Amino acid sequence: MRKARNNSLISEALLGLLLLAWLFPFVWMVFTSLKLENDVVSKTFSFFPRNATLANYTKAFKSTYILRWMLNSFITSASCMILTLAVDAPIAYAFAKIKFPGRNMLFWVIMAGMMVPFQVLIIPLYLQFNSYGLINHLVTVYLPRLALPIGVFILKQFFEGIPDALEEAAFMDGATRLRIFIGIIIPLGTSALATVTILSFINCWNDFLWPLIAMNDTERYTITVGIANFQGTHGTQYSLIMAGAVIASIPQFIFYVIFRKKIIAGIAMTGIKG
Amino acid sequence: MPCPCLHSALKRQSGLMIPGNKNTRDGLLFSLPFLIVFSVFMLYPLGFGLVISFFKWGILGDVQFVGLNNYISLFKDDKFYSSLWHTFEFVLITTPALLVLGFLFALIVTSRSRLKKTAENVFFIPYIFSMTVVSTLWAWIMQKQYGLLNQIVMAFGGKEIGWLTDPKWAMISVSVATLWWTAGFNMILMSAGIKQISPEVYESASIDGASYLQGVFKITIPLLKPTIVLCLILQVIASFNVFGQVYVMTGGGPYGMTRVLIQYIYETGFKYFKMGYSAAMSYILFFIIMAASVIQYIALGRSKE
Repeated sequence: MRKARNNSLISEALLGLLLLAWLFPFVWMVFTSLKLENDVVSKTFSFFPRNATLANYTKAFKSTYILRWMLNSFITSASCMILTLAVDAPIAYAFAKIKFPGRNMLFWVIMAGMMVPFQVLIIPLYLQFNSYGLINHLVTVYLPRLALPIGVFILKQFFEGIPDALEEAAFMDGATRLRIFIGIIIPLGTSALATVTILSFINCWNDFLWPLIAMNDTERYTITVGIANFQGTHGTQYSLIMAGAVIASIPQFIFYVIFRKKIIAGIAMTGIKG
Repeated sequence: MPCPCLHSALKRQSGLMIPGNKNTRDGLLFSLPFLIVFSVFMLYPLGFGLVISFFKWGILGDVQFVGLNNYISLFKDDKFYSSLWHTFEFVLITTPALLVLGFLFALIVTSRSRLKKTAENVFFIPYIFSMTVVSTLWAWIMQKQYGLLNQIVMAFGGKEIGWLTDPKWAMISVSVATLWWTAGFNMILMSAGIKQISPEVYESASIDGASYLQGVFKITIPLLKPTIVLCLILQVIASFNVFGQVYVMTGGGPYGMTRVLIQYIYETGFKYFKMGYSAAMSYILFFIIMAASVIQYIALGRSKE
């Protein structure tokens, strides 16, 4: 008995060490950002920030577009998630509840869309948006991201679980489809809608290749492109780069703390389809 | 616009409908917003891209039909082969590593450990941060002169290693950063699968005297197979699409030793403005990803039933 207990103590301790190691890069990011550049690139290695300073943060805010990039990311991601819901939810409802001809085939065509890697689309999309004169406009960042097949899938699964009887009763009372959709389906589907919202938000916020191509002016960058650009323009100012990385991570960290359960449930749901 | 086959299907069936039943109209109306976006930003570019790949297509509208020439010159292009190989290299390194690590983490967070909730958060949280943050962070950790990793190596008496500048190490280093970033994603998928296995199976096994490891190999892995197959397919797709980490961490260097296919596609299209050639390459990549997914699905998915 005692031996088993010792074993479990040892394994808990080992796990604890592993967890600390896994988190350590974050700690290092914060420590570096608080150091003076001279301390960072000095021959004598120091672990803790000896002369802790916020200078890198003020510099990041003052001499770069970091706030602008965050705002851009926020605008594009928020628009993306709202519009994704606006296009995904109605079709998911149609797939779940309305028997119309061609429904199954259409559903599989859309699910097949999940197989298309976005990279195949970048050249044609660029030429397309270029011909619309929309290159370098923020709408360009999120428009190609709106049709989210996995979102349709998740919502359809959920809507199918809503009993038909509810709709039938409303039909008897003379309600239209639209009223049923808005009055019954949407309120009952909030949890699935929230999951899709979050997936779409993460999807858009983390997008890199497309905004890199579609945005030319530095002040139009999203935060992901902006931080990558930091690396290029401030090459060896590591403490400044890390301050930028910390600033860029704060919204995502807050987002995670608030929506932890939903995010994890959303990802788990993408797996259960298998 | 919705696909034409739908129109004919609608016409054929609408006669059968009970008068007053507006299912067809409603179904179509509710699908319409999605179908418009899907057609304009997915189906159309997908077809348009294929068309572009048969042209010599510059950015200034200098367009010339060249038939299969883009595809032919692609197979004579050393840079194409080397980039494709680097992508394969990345897939071959990261896929097994991410599956095994994701599985081990999933075992930890579904165990009886008191730390399992904390562990779930800790393992998953890097995934929340954007690729560029993760890449700049690891590029700094792996920096040759002042990076943390080499400080540790030197503290143990080793010589500093050019993690991102030495051709031997560069791809492995990028893979390590990727591992740290996305292992949590696989962990979530796999732990969701493990939680669906009934605890009674384990109980009866332990009554029969099965050890923990026997439980893992004889119960968890076989029952988790559908999830593992799914993770594998998703992982291979994700790894084939690698670009950002390499772009930020090494820029494709040293000497193009880590340049992956998407980076080459990006450079051909948007630095040298050879759009047709670039589109042809992206279609080859698409084809490879499709083929890889289908092969895995057929080889591994069949035994599911």
